[in-house]
Amino acid sequence: MQREVGTLPLAPALRARLAAAGFQTAQELLDTGPCGLSKEIGISREEALEALQVVRQECHGDAARTAGGSGATRNCTALELLEEEQTQGFIITFCSALDNILGGGVQLTKITEICGAPGVGKTQLCMQLAVDVQIPECFGGVAGEAVFIDTEGSFMVDRVVDIAAACVQHCHLIAEAQQEEDLRKALETFSLENILSHIYYFRCRDYTELLAQVYLLPEFLSEHSKVRLVVIDGIAFPFRHDFEDLSLRTRLLNGLAQQLIIIANDHKSAVVLTNQMTTRIAQSQSTLVPALGESWGHAATVRLIFHWDNSQRLATLYKSPSQKESTIAYHITSHGFRDVQPPAVTHSTEGTELNPRKRPRTEEEKQQ
Amino acid sequence: MDWDQFDLNPKTIAALKKADIKSVKEVLNLSGADLQRLMKLSSADIQCLLKTVSHTLRRNSMLTALQLYQDKDHFTSQHQKLSLGCSVLDNLLKGGIPLVGITELAGESSAGKTQISLQLCLCVQYPYKYGGLESGAVYICTEDVFPSKRLQQLIDQQHKLRADVPAEIIQKIRFGNSIFVEQAADLDTFQQCITRRLSLLLARGMVRLVVIDSIAALFRCEFGAAQSALKARYLQTLGAQLHSLSTRYRTPIMCINQVTDAVSEPEAAQCSCRVEGSRVTPALGITWSNQLLMRLMVSRVSLPGHSPGLAPHCAGSVRTLSVIFAPHLPPSFCYYTVQLEGVKGIK
Repeated sequence: MQREVGTLPLAPALRARLAAAGFQTAQELLDTGPCGLSKEIGISREEALEALQVVRQECHGDAARTAGGSGATRNCTALELLEEEQTQGFIITFCSALDNILGGGVQLTKITEICGAPGVGKTQLCMQLAVDVQIPECFGGVAGEAVFIDTEGSFMVDRVVDIAAACVQHCHLIAEAQQEEDLRKALETFSLENILSHIYYFRCRDYTELLAQVYLLPEFLSEHSKVRLVVIDGIAFPFRHDFEDLSLRTRLLNGLAQQLIIIANDHKSAVVLTNQMTTRIAQSQSTLVPALGESWGHAATVRLIFHWDNSQRLATLYKSPSQKESTIAYHITSHGFRDVQPPAVTHSTEGTELNPRKRPRTEEEKQQ
Repeated sequence: MDWDQFDLNPKTIAALKKADIKSVKEVLNLSGADLQRLMKLSSADIQCLLKTVSHTLRRNSMLTALQLYQDKDHFTSQHQKLSLGCSVLDNLLKGGIPLVGITELAGESSAGKTQISLQLCLCVQYPYKYGGLESGAVYICTEDVFPSKRLQQLIDQQHKLRADVPAEIIQKIRFGNSIFVEQAADLDTFQQCITRRLSLLLARGMVRLVVIDSIAALFRCEFGAAQSALKARYLQTLGAQLHSLSTRYRTPIMCINQVTDAVSEPEAAQCSCRVEGSRVTPALGITWSNQLLMRLMVSRVSLPGHSPGLAPHCAGSVRTLSVIFAPHLPPSFCYYTVQLEGVKGIK
């Protein structure tokens, strides 16, 4: 009721007039009534009625929210945030070295950017993550679904089938080694067809379609609440041609980044973007840097750069709020994204060969 | 743009017309706050407008990976590929050239790039059952003259190369009629060719393969060292145009590229060229590589006395076709020879 007039969702011209006429809070507006309002600021009665309706709805909404306890802005302490982050799962990549430097895997609620030259493995990692996000919780996964937005046409479903089949087989081996009932039960729904049917594929042919798709994502994610991963492969391709006005491009990219941050937070999903590399020439020396400019570097929370060293593929963690910068080697096999030396398969009861940070089973779970 | 056909509040439609916003693209290019100011509407109305406009643009665009996998339709399936006319080469590429995207074939001179492209121009004319697309091809020459004599030789010998296809079917196809040859020696002519003649042929369904021989020649003379930014922009625009044509008409675009010497180790590594012993990298740099779906390289292999699989009368030397990068293929290679009837892989 004490809401300031400036924060109400009215047309800007109307707000300006209200401010000029001296109205400061929503309560004052409601007290004046439509006739008084139309006379004071010189608008028609219908417009005044409409405006008051909007104000009443807003105040209702506010009251409901404060009564409910959680609203558009909520207060929480850093301890609560820490606890939330610790219980949150990671999306593993099947390359334990990469998972280690990321602190467990690709984090939910954060934007991760993968940059690299063509052919180094960015799309492979995206396809691997789209499969790995679906791993059941008892195997150390987040049991989610994936949205794959493809702007370059590099999503080859045959390759995804290979990766998914290898993942299912890996889980079968673990279940056989550990002989536990709930693992076997989880595997009944973790089949190739199931995995493929939970990867939602969108093909965007230019940046307008991409912008439109991202506007529609929140609605889609509300309908498909199990989605825990949104992949955009690649974000650079539609934005690197066709722009005489680079300031428009910067503005659109910033807007896109903001929307993706909101989506990642509201729906507790990881957002993974792939970016191209471009040459920067400085003082007669040329280096490869991520494309889309300096300001785009601020969009992602975590930035990985994939590159070559002779014929070995390397991944460098270039930007991360919590992990230190490091480089590891990885391989792309017919089964997907893997370590260079596969870790020795240990048949321990905690299933550590799949995810050393798997949540330990609590007593209640065992008793159920 | 007829805003009345959109499912919008009449107030919003009136505001759109008054603000002179003419297309969906303009609406999406403006930020929420700009739209509010221009149209004098509340933020809830603007959100509604953005959602409606996005819905109209992206109606029915979702597919699951399972639907993609199970789709066996000729026209939409990802499984459909353009065969190269030889089972060994097709096995290397897991079926052939993908239908959507730019495929590059790079290599030194006389390594066999033109031979493979000519063979593709004939393969595309076969029925779907035999790995073709039942349509013609456009061959854009940018440097040499089109090798019509060699094409005629290949046409005459098709029955020998494609022993898997019944003779009546081969006889019925008028190979020469469906190959459209264009000459474009500089960028402007090339642009015109793409925007006018190529789009027309594609829209009419008369061609379903575009070969550009070669893409490097267009850029070698026109741009000096200081104009690298301009060259990059041209390359990106060209790549985007070709990409959009390929996506719209589901037509593979095969670009032949030349190679240059790799000056340093990191440069060779950057362009992921690990062909044994050679220090060459495809021309045009990383700007062009970013536009590609798949990169293949051919080279001559000098193996004196090593020809176990070659027929005794074969005169050609052994060459290698390697996959440098592709989203669905591991880096691999196979050997092939160029014979009278065409390019044939060696097991």
